Amino acid sequence: MADPIHQFQIVKVVDLPDVTLPLVGMVDLAITNSHIAMTIAFAAVVLFLTLVTSNAQVVPGRLQTIGEGLFGLIDNLTDSIIGHDGRKYFPYVFTVFVMILAMNLLGMALTFTATSQLAITATFAVVTFGLVLVIGFAKNGLGFFKLFWPTGAPLVMRPVVGLIEFFSFMLRPVTLALRLFGNMLGGHVALKVFAGFVVTLGAMAAGGGFGLLGIPGAALSMTMVVGLTALEFLVAFLQAFVFAVLTCIYLNDVVNLDHAH
Amino acid sequence: MATPEGHGADTAHTATTEAEHGSGGLPQFQFQHWGGQIAWLLILFVILYVLIARVFTPRMRAVIDQRASTISGALETARQVQAEAADQARAAAAEVAEARAQSQRVAAEARAKAAAESAERAAVEEAKVSEQVAQAETRIAAMRDAAMSNVGAIAGETAAAIVEKLTGKAASAADIKAALVARGGAA
Repeated sequence: MADPIHQFQIVKVVDLPDVTLPLVGMVDLAITNSHIAMTIAFAAVVLFLTLVTSNAQVVPGRLQTIGEGLFGLIDNLTDSIIGHDGRKYFPYVFTVFVMILAMNLLGMALTFTATSQLAITATFAVVTFGLVLVIGFAKNGLGFFKLFWPTGAPLVMRPVVGLIEFFSFMLRPVTLALRLFGNMLGGHVALKVFAGFVVTLGAMAAGGGFGLLGIPGAALSMTMVVGLTALEFLVAFLQAFVFAVLTCIYLNDVVNLDHAH
Repeated sequence: MATPEGHGADTAHTATTEAEHGSGGLPQFQFQHWGGQIAWLLILFVILYVLIARVFTPRMRAVIDQRASTISGALETARQVQAEAADQARAAAAEVAEARAQSQRVAAEARAKAAAESAERAAVEEAKVSEQVAQAETRIAAMRDAAMSNVGAIAGETAAAIVEKLTGKAASAADIKAALVARGGAA
């Protein structure tokens, strides 16, 4: 049976010389399969958005309807969660959403899924967390720390609850990164495992004799693969959407700090 | 980020990853691959962000706003046309009502006129007829008077004849006349 973990292996496609940067240290510039998957996703997003918006009609065609659907989905999200300031943050949330969605969906077609790399999901999470911090301090100054001071709780409890709030806040990038990473990893491992069963049991059946018992198992595994594939498409969309929703919620926390607390 | 082995030790590198791979660790935790991926992702992310913020979002918003204004404009026009149509319908209904009232008035007038005319004609005819009746009555009265005077003469003659027959001698005309008057007959 093929190793279900092997699909996540980073492989150098074009090897480029390492460079040593100050502060960062040595960086391997090689173009890997991960780079290629990211680039294809990026190109697909740019191509799609160009096609959707370059010849946009008042009465939309099919492609434009899909594009406007995604646009409207995120636009409603930023509008309803962040409020009247939401439009300012729309480009960021939309960029995160379409990039993750493209990488997730591309993983259903390619042998490599960029969002199943912890490096990728952690980058998204850290960038989002950093943006929340920057906006929080820029908008509220030191009032940002009011976020951890629960005025709704009794005075005695406030330090305790505040501490909990602080830890949950600091864990946000971890949960953001691990949620997406875990979903994509688990889904693709499960797909590969059941697909591997089909091959192994099929090979057993080809041997004849008792091996023929493998046929029902192979058929069942095949059914599972088909079902899981459908589920993975759902998860691919859902995880991108969840990431966008959480980004909106985290941004709302700091943008509307005075109204909410 | 920083790869533990140099680039020159490429074969050793792959051997290491294969070894890690073989030992069951996730390839995601081979940190020597992180730096390149993160850098490339950030580059792509920034480019896409700028494209979306500067190009795609304004274009999309323009189309959506244009659609909204088109729809609201069309709705406004439709509302106006509807109001106009309602006004026209009201005007037409008023006209119809007026025309009906006028026609009823004309009909009533015509009916009244016709009734008056026929009453007048009837009155004239009646007057004529009653005049004729009066004339006829006068004539009848004259004829009766004549007839009644004739009756006196006839009675006198008859009486003279009867007296002549009974007495054998003719009574004088004066006697007969006196007798007739005495009997109360109308002369």
